[in-house]
Amino acid sequence: MSAQQALLLPVGSDLYALPLDWAREVVAAPAATTLVTAPASVLGLFNLRGQIVPLFDTAALLGTGTIDAPAFAVVVDSAVGLAGLATSGLPQRESLGESTGPSDLPGTTGRYSIGQQVATLLDPVALLSPHRISGHDYHGLAGNGSS
Amino acid sequence: MAGLGSDRLRLLFVQEADVRLTELGRLLLELEQRADDLELVRSVYRELHTLKGSAAVAGLEDVSQIAHGLEELVDDVRAGSRPVTPEMIDTLLRGADRLRGAVTATPAAQEPPTSKRAQVRPRPQGGSGATLGTLLEPSPEPPVVRGVPPAAATSPRPDGGSGLILVPVERLEELTRLVGETTSAHLRIGRMLKDRFDVDPGTCNEFNELARSLNNLHDSTMRTQMVPVSTVTDQLHRAVRDLSRAQGKDVRWETAGTDTELDRGVLHRLSDSLMHLVRNAIDHGIETPDERRRAGKPEQATVRLHAMQLGSEVIITVTDDGRGIDGGAVEHEARRLGIETDGLSDDERAALTFHPGFSTARFVTDVSGRGVGLDVVRTHVEGAHGRVDVRSEPGTGTEFRLIVPITVAVLRCLLVEAGGQSFALPFHRVLLTQAHNPDNVTYAEGRPVVWVDRHPLPVHQLGDVVGLGETVSDGPVVGLTDGSQRHAFAVDRLVGQRDVVIKALSPLVPRLPAVAGASVEADGSILLVLDPPGLIQRARHSPRPDRPGGRDERPGAPGRSILVVDDALIVRELQRGILERVGFHVRVAGDGQQAIAQLAQEPTDLVVTDIEMPKMDGFALTEAIRSHPALANIPVLIVSSRSSDADRQRGLDAGADGYIVKSAFDESSLLTAVNRLLGTGS
Repeated sequence: MSAQQALLLPVGSDLYALPLDWAREVVAAPAATTLVTAPASVLGLFNLRGQIVPLFDTAALLGTGTIDAPAFAVVVDSAVGLAGLATSGLPQRESLGESTGPSDLPGTTGRYSIGQQVATLLDPVALLSPHRISGHDYHGLAGNGSS
Repeated sequence: MAGLGSDRLRLLFVQEADVRLTELGRLLLELEQRADDLELVRSVYRELHTLKGSAAVAGLEDVSQIAHGLEELVDDVRAGSRPVTPEMIDTLLRGADRLRGAVTATPAAQEPPTSKRAQVRPRPQGGSGATLGTLLEPSPEPPVVRGVPPAAATSPRPDGGSGLILVPVERLEELTRLVGETTSAHLRIGRMLKDRFDVDPGTCNEFNELARSLNNLHDSTMRTQMVPVSTVTDQLHRAVRDLSRAQGKDVRWETAGTDTELDRGVLHRLSDSLMHLVRNAIDHGIETPDERRRAGKPEQATVRLHAMQLGSEVIITVTDDGRGIDGGAVEHEARRLGIETDGLSDDERAALTFHPGFSTARFVTDVSGRGVGLDVVRTHVEGAHGRVDVRSEPGTGTEFRLIVPITVAVLRCLLVEAGGQSFALPFHRVLLTQAHNPDNVTYAEGRPVVWVDRHPLPVHQLGDVVGLGETVSDGPVVGLTDGSQRHAFAVDRLVGQRDVVIKALSPLVPRLPAVAGASVEADGSILLVLDPPGLIQRARHSPRPDRPGGRDERPGAPGRSILVVDDALIVRELQRGILERVGFHVRVAGDGQQAIAQLAQEPTDLVVTDIEMPKMDGFALTEAIRSHPALANIPVLIVSSRSSDADRQRGLDAGADGYIVKSAFDESSLLTAVNRLLGTGS
């Protein structure tokens, strides 16, 4: 069985792995415009060849802190449109090694060895879910299906 | 047809049938008005005949047989052995509905193909063709009771050889996106010429030629998404006809200016609202023929839709010559909802009917009068960056005016800077701009106000309201309106006004009430377009500022406690988050029994409760609180998805002090209600 290909995202002192088929491209130093009134996980909006793409703070989505100055944005092709995941270092393509066990953070699915390092595999669907993006900064209850 | 698989064949048939059935419906409504027009009869026959043949080719025998049954009926009319009567039109229209139902039930019309809905309607029983009885079976979804969005808005009429083709909307949207990308690349090339080669792109003929071509391409692409208002009027005509017949009313449907074009997206947003206004007119506005005769009016009433373009806006009016809006009922309903009506003009009183929960219908019917409706109309129109107003004269009739931009893609905006960032404000919401004048600023209820046309307007720093940190600007003031409220915002400077190509934000971004969208600027940067109604709401619920001699106030009062009761974890936690952020101490309970147990241990200043919960529902909880001497004075706020008047009344009868419907719920409405009940904040 061949090893899973992933894009490794440096976020602070951590390393996260994005399944390669989710990554569309990497943008260096994205110039984001602040999206006022948005939750803290939304760093802003950036222009990707005419398309307006939201840039998310990967650390905030994971609940591990914040990225002050995003060095790169990994453009993710989600079911509802493009999204940028901010990183604090250059993303690199790697094969995931052995699984080293489950992960704790929401939006992740397990830990893998990358040489002497450990990368936590991201679950982009869970990571970019409305609940993770909004946190408790919720703007409406309509449509939640509850009475 | 060699080379076309059966799936592809059926997909083509579904597309064709959609167009033909729309045309069939239009022809039948016309035939009812001109029963002697043999050419119309022949046209109806041709549509049915073609549908029958195409369905057979696509292997859809069920559809083919329904069409065959209808064709035989029309053939009798064509031969002169049956007259065209309203009953005959009823039969044919219902048959057309059954046809549409059968077509949309084919796997080719379903998505995904494996969906449970992808069931082919059972084959009609009893011979080779559908019988009259079969055709009179009720349609599964009578078209009269729903607004039909212009899904086929881009569908041309099947007048063969017209040179029109069906194009999926997604392709047009992709085309528009690509043009945007190309324009953006062109601008980047211009910057590169300047930065790297020190060449002024304006002096380069090729660059300017490309700019002109791209502008033309952009205009042409935008035009591909424009559709005439007539794409939705057939459904409205059908609704008028069916409803008036069902209610024994005689109503003539008139249209004018329906060739006026506007953006498909705008029209799509309006279609449900237009349907609601038309149904409302028939149900509440138009009198019975007897009533009209007694009032000295012609027995036949008129409902009229008129569309016209005025500058960059389209105005659509829906007018009826019925009884008008009942001023007494408006007064009564306003009192029930606690709305002050003193000093309001007649038009302002009529506009109260757009207030959420407002209903002047004497009887609750399945058509309208359920307390949800006109507020939804206003919401939809405002969602299209438009506005709606109403004029009514008792005994004479009512006119609703919907004013929307031709396209939501391009909005005339006022550009401002605030908090160090540029913003666009849609021009149709801008009342005025004026220079800062310290002598013109005073305070009312703890908030600064500026005098505008002898009216005090609350004023906020725009940068503060959108969260760009506390700013103090002596820049100009921009007055904005949301249709019913006016508010002023101080900005750093006015930049100018121009058309802005607005794009919706990604669905990944949560709904932001103060942001309408964004635009890519010529230099590649992104400009945010603010939404004045959301901005005004946000400003009104922002903390009161410090001022000399004033005291520090927050919307919530630290130390006050609230018990949130809801069986849905997500709702409990969301409400907890909202309330804790403004300083309340919040406890939660999963049902009424848990709430009572908690209250027995420690009272609270306010209970916020859902209705439907296990063990003890919200009504029972409210009654229990009211009946307990130690708890009876605790205010209770119900937050429920139940929106009927009966539920509201039941809540009030149980002893609740407030009632919020979740569908209209947002953070600010919860805080407003909570602060009002506790006498805290704003």
